[in-house]
Order: sequence, then structure tokens, then C-alpha cells
Amino acid sequence: MRKSKGLLFVSIMLLICVMAFAGGKTEEAAEAPVMEKALPYEGAVIHFAVAAEQFADQLKVFSKEFMMETGADVRIDILGYVELMQKITQDFATGSAEYDLATMDIVWTGQFEQEGWTKDLTAWINRDKAEIDYDDILPILWVMGDWNGKQIGYPLSAYANSMIYRKDLFEDSGEKAAFKAKYGYDLAPAETFKQLSDISAFFTRPDENMYGLVACGARGPAVAQDWMEYMRGFGGQIFNSAGEVTVNSAECVESLEFFVEMFDKWAPAGAIGYWWDSRETSYRTGQTVSQSSWSIARAGYEDESISMVAGKTGMAVPPKVSGADAGYGVGGWGVSINADSSEENAEISWEFIKYVTSKQAQKDWTRNNGAPIRLSTLTDPELNSEMPWLADVLTVFQNGDGDYRPRVPEYSQIQDVLGLRINQAITHELGVKEALDLAAADIKAFMK
Amino acid sequence: MTISGILSIDKKKSTLMWFLVPITVYMVVFFLYPVIYNIFIGFFELKLGRTPIYNGVSNYREMLADTQFLNSLVTTLIFVFSAVSVEVVFGMLIAFLLNHENRVMEIIRTFILIPTVFTPLVAGLVWKSLYHPDLGMITYYLRKFGIDIGRGLIVERSLALGSIVVVDIWEWTPLMVIIILAGLKSLPTEPYEAARIDGAGEVPIFFKITLPLLRPTLLVALLIRSLDALKVFDIIWAITGGGPGTSTTVANLRIYEVGMNQLRIGYAAALSNVLLIIGVIIGIFFIKFIYQKEKL
Repeated sequence: MRKSKGLLFVSIMLLICVMAFAGGKTEEAAEAPVMEKALPYEGAVIHFAVAAEQFADQLKVFSKEFMMETGADVRIDILGYVELMQKITQDFATGSAEYDLATMDIVWTGQFEQEGWTKDLTAWINRDKAEIDYDDILPILWVMGDWNGKQIGYPLSAYANSMIYRKDLFEDSGEKAAFKAKYGYDLAPAETFKQLSDISAFFTRPDENMYGLVACGARGPAVAQDWMEYMRGFGGQIFNSAGEVTVNSAECVESLEFFVEMFDKWAPAGAIGYWWDSRETSYRTGQTVSQSSWSIARAGYEDESISMVAGKTGMAVPPKVSGADAGYGVGGWGVSINADSSEENAEISWEFIKYVTSKQAQKDWTRNNGAPIRLSTLTDPELNSEMPWLADVLTVFQNGDGDYRPRVPEYSQIQDVLGLRINQAITHELGVKEALDLAAADIKAFMK
Repeated sequence: MTISGILSIDKKKSTLMWFLVPITVYMVVFFLYPVIYNIFIGFFELKLGRTPIYNGVSNYREMLADTQFLNSLVTTLIFVFSAVSVEVVFGMLIAFLLNHENRVMEIIRTFILIPTVFTPLVAGLVWKSLYHPDLGMITYYLRKFGIDIGRGLIVERSLALGSIVVVDIWEWTPLMVIIILAGLKSLPTEPYEAARIDGAGEVPIFFKITLPLLRPTLLVALLIRSLDALKVFDIIWAITGGGPGTSTTVANLRIYEVGMNQLRIGYAAALSNVLLIIGVIIGIFFIKFIYQKEKL
């Protein structure tokens, strides 16, 4: 019995050895040609925290290409907006260096610089200025990633705020005639908030499950950011040029009154609970006729697999209050390198940044849900024929205001305050003036 | 008893004591240390990544003026009271129904536990889609039957907390059923036999025999669920995120906002210490009640 057990053990061990060596030889043979080409960053691993935006998948494609070319494995970790902000903040603040690279909402620039969480990219940019073709990247985007003379965020995906509307309805002769009969002027994309109000009221038909206008209403960053866009259009500001808190100014109050009216009269019932994805779904399913949105979403409206309004969407610059001198809203994502990242990883990260934002990559980027950052891309004739809205996007960038969401170090706290107070106003827990007065008091408390 | 006998008992005891070491270490590392550390940092102005600054009881003084936190405590207590009381009543009713031994009851007893097995976050997301103001199935049927739910169950301030309580009841009533059912099974049969011989009806038997005998079980169930409900976070986070307005902002959600969004770890620790104290008070209250009744 003991003998047979021993034999069985020896046989199994032999079998394992044969299999192991056989496998090893084959792999060696297969790997031989690859070894011929030495890759500069073979074996290096970079961790990249990426916002769950439309462009995230294309970054995965770029990371594969980058690995083929350099050997560096850039591992993409896709995170929701709030989750991303919390994860990288904790990572940066505790110095755990879990991530080498992170996408950053451009409004986090001030905070990242003040806390010293990310590297200043200025020296790298100056060193490789010709290679990155510095002047081809839109000036406003460089400014938005800069704080106190340090380039904290490198432009990655630039968003132009725009008015999205159902072109098919706006061009429908019956609708046009009915609108003119009711309001006395032609139906066209709104240039003023009075017009936007008329258009929204005209297209709100709950019996047909059709609503005139939609915005994010859920408590948190979404409602704060959507309201700030309307605030900008009304000529309001969180801080005036002297740095005083003006979030409860007459312009801001007026904009919030409009915002509340939208939820009360023209938006779908559920809009009070909408985050960005729900707002987009509402438009894409044809439930709402227009919305103020970022240009990144524009290409998706033409994708029939996710949109029921393909071929029916128009895009225009957003409305402003009559006589207001406000620039158009510009936002988007930059990319930054963790200050605690090792020198080697930081250098590889910089190479990856250059790779994904290069002129060569921009066309693929734009065609695959990325938002362009370069003048050459936005004016590319081939891309313009595929995406005629790029001209409007460029208009916004060239006349843009990237600071209506203040890029101050306290931005996250400001957004937190507004995320609650604006939601309290649209749910009528607080009156408009009361909500903004409280917001002003909250902001003043931590801006001391 | 001989000296060798005493020594052998001591040896046995010391061997047994060693078996307690792992759980003691576990309790100290994962329970006692975090609690003491949390109490400690509650006395500091501690922002993540910054040097902590001792500020005495300033965090607690600030808390007394923090209407958002105080409101969230009220919301928490309303949530705990409404959810747990309904769960106990429903749990008892269902336990009585299931307290029969046959094949059907065995199957029902197995399936009734399904909601409890759900991770609260997943349960929250499922219910969020059911409650969706435009597309949710529950919303659709309520409107179809002409019930006025305004803009929707989870976007109306007057309805949101109630909708969350319903989810909690759905998820945790089965746990109550199982605890109460176990209590019912362990009740002695003699008092019932004596009462029936004396001609007592089922209703007096329930109030005079079953309920008093079941009281310790009910108190344990109440204690477990009350402390658990006091910690509620994930269901609310998934369904409403604390909104609309502040209508579903419970204490844990407020603490999370202060700690994770504002990165004010010291203040968040102070707030959670207050919640801990409330939990301890509830715990002491129930435990005292259980022992009192047992003595009686």
C-alpha cells in the first residue's frame, strides 16, 4: 500500500515537471522576437485615476498603444465624480501614492496647488514646448490649469457649455407657426432667458411626456454646477473682483428664481433627483426638448445605440440675460501628476500625458468621445464635416469664462454648500433669497 | 480537595484563558482602539494631510450651533423609531403566522430571509429604480391608481423619508421574524396547557402568557435593530443622497459629508462620538430593561 502511494506521488511529480518544462520552452520560443526590441519603460506600472466621463474608454485604448510603444503599463481606474474626488484627495493628502496620475476637474486647480498635492508641470512644459506644440492648445485651457504661476493641470478634455435643443422640433413648420402665433416672434434657439422661458413653456406638454427644459436637481455637485451655469448667464458671480462673496447678489437671486421656475414648470417630475446621467438620459430619450449641457455629450446624441434623438439635435451658444457681459461657460478636465509619485513614474506619466494629448492622438480622441483641446483639431476640415458643432465649441472657448465656477482652493467646500442650498431652494425647503443668504454665510465662514 | 487537584484546575483555567487571547486582541485592535482614537481626535482640529491642532471642546461647541447636524439627529431618531416599531409589529405578526410545522411553512421561512441577504447598497439601488419619479414601477402603479405622490416618492420632501423607511422595513423585517420565531419556539408549553384547561381564550393567552414570556426576545430584537438603524447610511446614500433638501439627511450622512467632502476629520470624529453616546444610551436602556424583567 505504502509502495503504491509512493509510486503515485513520484508519477504526479514527474507529470508536473514535464508539463512545467514543456510550457516554459514554448513561452520562451514565443517571446524571443519581442525581446529583440527593447522598450524604454518595460515593466513600469502607472496607476491613473480617471473620471467616469465619456472619454474614459479612449484613455484605455491609448494606454494599450502606449504600452506597445514604451512597455509601460498605464492602469486606468475609472471612478464616478464624487468617488474620484474623494479617492484622490485622500491619496494625495495621506501621501500613499496609490495613483501616479489623476484626471482633475479644472476647478480643483487652486486646491491642488495650495495643498501641494500635485507636481508643477511648468518645467516639463517649458522643456518640451515645441514637441507639445504649446500654442496649438487653447490659451483658456492653459489658464484654467494654472494657479499661482504653477501649471497644476495639463489640458485633457475641454468642455464648452452649450444649449442643446431638438432641431427637428425647432424646424417643424407647424411648431414654428404655433410658436409665432403665441409669442409673436420666430422660434429659434434662445439668446435670452426670456426667450428660453417662452420656448420651455411652449414645449412643455406633460400629456405627451414632453418637457421644455431640464437640469440636474439632485443634491450635490450636479445641481451646484448646473445652477452656476445659469448664474453665469444672468451675470452673477460667487465672488466679485474684490474677492467678496456675492452669491446672494440680485443677479444670483434672479438666476435661482429662473432655476426654481424650471423645476416647477418645465422639467420632468423626476428632475429634482437627476444627476448628469439622468439629465442626459432625459434628453436622449426625447423626454426633454432642450438643456444646457457640456459639449462632451454632443457626439453621443448622434449615436443611435444610446440616443433616440440621433439626427435631431442642434447646438447653440447658451443664452444670456439681456445686456449681460458674461463670457460663455468653459470647463473640463485636466490631468495632474501626484506629488508623491516616484521620479521615474512621474517621468513616464509625463510621457503618457504628451502621448494622449498629442496632435496625432487628437483626431482619434475627438472621434471617440473625447473633447478636443487643440485649435488645429477644432478647425480640422475633416472633423468639422463630421461634427459641424465644433465651430460653436470654438466660439465658446474663444469667448469663454473658466472662472465662473471659482477655481479657488475652497472650491470643493463652495460646491458642497451650493449642492445643498440650491437643492433646498428647488425643493422649496427654503426660499430663493434665504437659500442664497445661507450659502453666502456658509461660504464666508470658511473663507475667513 | 488536594493541592495537586487545585493545581490541575488552575492549569486548566490558564489553558482556557489562552483561547481568549485571539478574540481579545481582535476586540482591542478593531473595536477598542478605534473608539478611543476617535474620542481622542474629537478634541483636535484635524484636516486630512495637515498637522492636528488641539482645540479642546471647540468641536463640540460648534456642534451645538450646527443646525444641519442637529436636524440630522432628529431625522435619524424619526427614522429609527418609525422603522423599528413597524418592523417589530410586522415581525411578530409574520412570526405567529409561520409558527406552524409543515412543509409550506418551512419553504416560506427559507424564502422570507431573501431581502435580509441583500447588501443594503444594492437594495437601495434596486428600490431607487422602483421609485424613479419618471420610470419607476411603483411610481407608475401609484399614479395609475390615482394616488397623489406629487413629483415622486423620493423627490417630494414630505414622502422621501417614509419611502426610505419602507425599504428598511422590507429589508429587516425578516430578521425580526427569525428572532421572534426562535423566541416562540423556545417558549414552555406548560403555561399554555394550564391556561387552556382553565378555559382561557387565544387573545388572553397572547397578552397574558405569550407576550410576557416573549418580552426578553423582543427587547433583544429591538436592541439589535435600533442600534443598527441608528447607523443607517447606505440605503439613504443610494436612494436619495440625503435629499431632497435635508429631508433624508441622517446623522451618519452628515458626518460623512463633514469628514469625506470637507475633510474635517476632527469635527467628523466629534459628531460620530455624539452618535456613539446616543447608541450607548439606547443600549443601556434596553439592557437594563431586559435584566429588570428577567429578575421579575
